[in-house]
Amino acid sequence: MRTLRTLLIGTVLRAKHLSRSPFEVALALVIPLVQATLAVYLFQAGDEPHRLLEAAVGAGLMGVWASVLTGSGGAIQHQRFEGTLEIIMLTPRHPVLVVLPLTAATAVTGCYALVATLLWGRIVYGIPIDLAHPLAFGAATLACIAGLGMFGLLLASTFILLRNANALANPLDYPIWLLSGMLVPISVLPAWTAPIAAVLPTTWGARALREATVGGPVWPSIGICLALGTVCLVLGAVLLKSFERRARASATLALA
Amino acid sequence: MRTLRLIGIGGALAYRALFNWTTPAMYVGTLLAGPTFQLLFFAYLGRQLQVADDRFFIVGNAVLAASTACVFGGTMAVANERRYGTLGHVLLSPRSRTVVFWGRVLPYAGNGLLIAAFTLLMGVLLLGLRIPAAALPGLALALAAGSLACGFFGLTLGALGLRFRDVWVVSNVSAALLLLLTGVNVPRDGLPDWMITVGQLLPITNAAEAARLLAAGRGLEAAAPALGRELLVGVGYAVLAALLLKVFEAESRRRASLETL
Repeated sequence: MRTLRTLLIGTVLRAKHLSRSPFEVALALVIPLVQATLAVYLFQAGDEPHRLLEAAVGAGLMGVWASVLTGSGGAIQHQRFEGTLEIIMLTPRHPVLVVLPLTAATAVTGCYALVATLLWGRIVYGIPIDLAHPLAFGAATLACIAGLGMFGLLLASTFILLRNANALANPLDYPIWLLSGMLVPISVLPAWTAPIAAVLPTTWGARALREATVGGPVWPSIGICLALGTVCLVLGAVLLKSFERRARASATLALA
Repeated sequence: MRTLRLIGIGGALAYRALFNWTTPAMYVGTLLAGPTFQLLFFAYLGRQLQVADDRFFIVGNAVLAASTACVFGGTMAVANERRYGTLGHVLLSPRSRTVVFWGRVLPYAGNGLLIAAFTLLMGVLLLGLRIPAAALPGLALALAAGSLACGFFGLTLGALGLRFRDVWVVSNVSAALLLLLTGVNVPRDGLPDWMITVGQLLPITNAAEAARLLAAGRGLEAAAPALGRELLVGVGYAVLAALLLKVFEAESRRRASLETL
């Protein structure tokens, strides 16, 4: 119960923190709409207007991932800049309980992107929000938040060792969008990418959302997304502890 | 001669001082790997949707690749002086500040050209694009024109940084809009008229058109009008940046808000 409380309060606090930054808010508000517009015109140009809803959902999920990625890179980096990284690592709880809310909050706030792109598509381009499984869509969205938040933790743990976490985070937007099939079906990619795609929670989250939108077996995809997310969580927790110890031993936690 | 020295040496010194975040990892990750992944994403999306052929996306994204370095670099050329508290010293210079700031754009444009060329090379190596050898000098010219226009566009945004506190929001949103409005990834005839008009006023649009004509083997003559328009857009932003810098400098002196963050 205490653990859940820590995670919940930490997530809400971080989300509030993010909402106080005009920079974060402005980007979170505008960028997903630009991406959704781009997706709509591309799908229209490709003479596939029947897939516009799918495009809007895909663009929204791209926004969620962008938010998680920036947030995960920034979670550790920001604490380091503010001089609070050492303090939060000194808390008596496991570091994962402190860092997971930082990444989960970015997934939660990133959900705005999903809602915004759907509404943008409906209001500006008249795309009917005609979901095949509305209830499952809600469940898939929650699974995506959880899965992506846990994947974010795995990324954030590696960022403890890096001085410029952005160097790793900046180029990761497009590969994950591509490999997860958020707009481009994985089947059109080279065959060697399939195993990589299969172990990413984002792939299964995107698949669950797509199946909930156009029809298909949503629940297995949700299950795999959560299972892979849990693997990321466990791996992230182990790495976080290990990297934290290494950084403490070399006295580089605030510098690394 | 003194002016050329100020532009060349001044620009290079400022570049080294203000581009201080560029570690090799950051450079490779953000400026080389990022645009390459972006190119692959849009090329595969284009193949799937059959919007256009690979050349359309490879050349378009190669021109676009320069924008990150140039738009953010141009912005940084002004905004970082303010951030590091050295803007006052620059504005106290007895030489023309317009020339000082114009000179700063050149290294960023050079860097943009390098990145654009690298991205094009990746398109050739990874996706098998074939470009006629005769088109290479023209292509270099188109990429250079696009980079320069982007640099001056960034400087214009940087000038806004003298007036507005958080200029990075403007830069980030502008960079995203370049993706949508310049026709690098969506054929422009599929866009609404107002987007086409706005796109004509933005850097890259005409450079991408020229580069596509050149890559298709149409020759410099066919690409010359688009190249001319791109240069005109670049000159327009250079003049606009100079005007804004002058106006905001005077205003910030009057309101004593020069280094207010």
